[in-house]
Amino acid sequence: MTALRVGIVGAGTMGKAHAVGWSATGAEVVGVAARSQDAAAPLALSLGVEAFGSYDELLSTVDIVDLCVPTDLHCDMTVRAAAAARHVVCEKPIALSVEDGQAMIDACEAAGVRLFVAMVVRFFPQYRAAREAVAAGQLGELGVMRLKRVAYQPIGDAGWFIDEARSGGMILDLMIHDLDYARWLGGEVERVFARSLRSRDPGAPADYALATLRFRGGAMAQVEGGWSYPPGVFRTAFDLAGSGGLIEWDSDSSESTHRRLMPEKPEGVGRVGVPLTVAAEDPYTTEIRHVYDALIHDRPFDVSAEDALAALRIALAVRTSAREGRAVTLEEV
Amino acid sequence: MRIGIMSFAHLHAESYIHNLKSIVGVEVIGFSDTDPVRGDRASREYESRWFPEHEALLAERPDAVLICSENANHRELVELAAAAGAHVLCEKPIEVSCESARAMREACDRAGVHFMTAFPMRFDINIRAAREVMARGELGEVYAINGVNHSENPYRHRAWFAQKALAGGGAVMDHTVHLLDLYRWFLGSEVVEVYAEVGNPFYPDEIDVDSAGLVTLTFATGVFASIDCSWSRPTSYPRFGHLKMELFGDRGALSVDAFAQHLRVWSGALERTPSWIGWGDNPDLAMIKAFVASVHEDREPPVTWRDGYEALRVALACYQSAERGEPVALGSPPEG
Repeated sequence: MTALRVGIVGAGTMGKAHAVGWSATGAEVVGVAARSQDAAAPLALSLGVEAFGSYDELLSTVDIVDLCVPTDLHCDMTVRAAAAARHVVCEKPIALSVEDGQAMIDACEAAGVRLFVAMVVRFFPQYRAAREAVAAGQLGELGVMRLKRVAYQPIGDAGWFIDEARSGGMILDLMIHDLDYARWLGGEVERVFARSLRSRDPGAPADYALATLRFRGGAMAQVEGGWSYPPGVFRTAFDLAGSGGLIEWDSDSSESTHRRLMPEKPEGVGRVGVPLTVAAEDPYTTEIRHVYDALIHDRPFDVSAEDALAALRIALAVRTSAREGRAVTLEEV
Repeated sequence: MRIGIMSFAHLHAESYIHNLKSIVGVEVIGFSDTDPVRGDRASREYESRWFPEHEALLAERPDAVLICSENANHRELVELAAAAGAHVLCEKPIEVSCESARAMREACDRAGVHFMTAFPMRFDINIRAAREVMARGELGEVYAINGVNHSENPYRHRAWFAQKALAGGGAVMDHTVHLLDLYRWFLGSEVVEVYAEVGNPFYPDEIDVDSAGLVTLTFATGVFASIDCSWSRPTSYPRFGHLKMELFGDRGALSVDAFAQHLRVWSGALERTPSWIGWGDNPDLAMIKAFVASVHEDREPPVTWRDGYEALRVALACYQSAERGEPVALGSPPEG
């Protein structure tokens, strides 16, 4: 089988993580594009591929584009890729609005190309294991889910994350993982209620939100999201309670190694927090391998672009609820 | 000082009677309970004098009483105790309606006796340490709190906990009030708005009150906070449940697990194995001591009627919000 040719767009934290993933597939990474050739050069060099300053030039040489760029660029770049008949892998959230997300899905469908949105939490082993236990009926009927994902506010070059016009803000960029996971387990959401806080004070940066979800089936979920810890801290947890059982998991108690370094050798802090799991394969690689297998064997993705759009709808409802101080039904979004 | 316990309906009476007996200077007169089976069993188990009528216990002229009846019977017993001139420590929630709660206060005021609400977590040493960190300003300005007070279904031990007429509700009534009280105490601010999702997903065929609740609170200062009050721990869980909270401030975050100090025990001799067996200081004992001291010194107890009343108001507002599917604004508390 001929290897499909991949172009990575964006050379930041996610571009690098995806590049590692692609190297575990049969795909051929042929180039990295960024806002300038210089910006693309370090990652391109490390992969031994060409650096592009032009997205269109990269498009002309690949079968798949992998969009690891700020969210406000997703729609335009996806539509252009579809027009060029390229498959699209796109970081989450799918887009900043339901209209844009739908336009991306429609464009890819019309062009006969595939669209994968990288809802990576579905590929984390502990989240998969819990989902399997729930699907196997080990918890009976789900009653209350608690999901936690709190990191630190992105810093430096990753500053676009805190620009709501570009990223959609913490709720769309970070909390969306758990909103998607909650929907994966609990089904469609009826309504949400949320409170949030944003601070752009450089001395006290914070984005924090607490959201309550009520599912059509009667279950409920509390989702906590934040960029509100000191730099370097990233904590995740879930607590899934049903009529027949309970699953608890948290990142604190799953750390198999603990570093206690002397102060002159501080741990490096990434510009944007990424949750890590000690595993033979990192979840980003699991995800990219899945994408490539599904593409070359023409099989469905484990998480569809429609799922990603549904998660975006919930995130938008949460953001609206937090802004307007009222319960918001999903029908409104 | 002579103290009696009115009713053994609440599980906590079993802990309190041990606490009382351990305090120097306290004489436990006994307990009253109109349920003959419970009264007889408790009198043998705790080697304590049983009064089948509350009036008979009060005729012994106790300086103070601990009221551990079903929630909906608090008013009757508080009014009896106050009329007999006994200071009152009353289980939470203090009643099932605001009207009854206010009547209790009036009865105590008329009789000139003090009323303390039993919120033992205020006396928990871990919780107090967390509050001190916040009070020292180490977290900067706190803007949000996320808390859980989970438990198994208490009706397995006492059926009335899941009977609306006696308990006033289910998990929301039972478990919102502890954290709410801690939040008020930490923040020094009152709740102005409540949103709650309430349901009974865990025991749909066994009970007809709520077994789950997710509550979002907004305080007058703008701080928002959540409480998960669900009876969501299965009976196989290694402990009744837990109480945890995490505070977020502009200078840092703090999480506290009030029951972190425990052993993990595996034993065929235990009702459940593994079991988490607490080894830390007993907050119930610290609370009872504080009550005894306030009676001894004839001063306002450290947790007041007002504290119990505000917690009850919020719990009732949760049900209102759940019914409407909208946040509910809490009006100003009445005078007093």
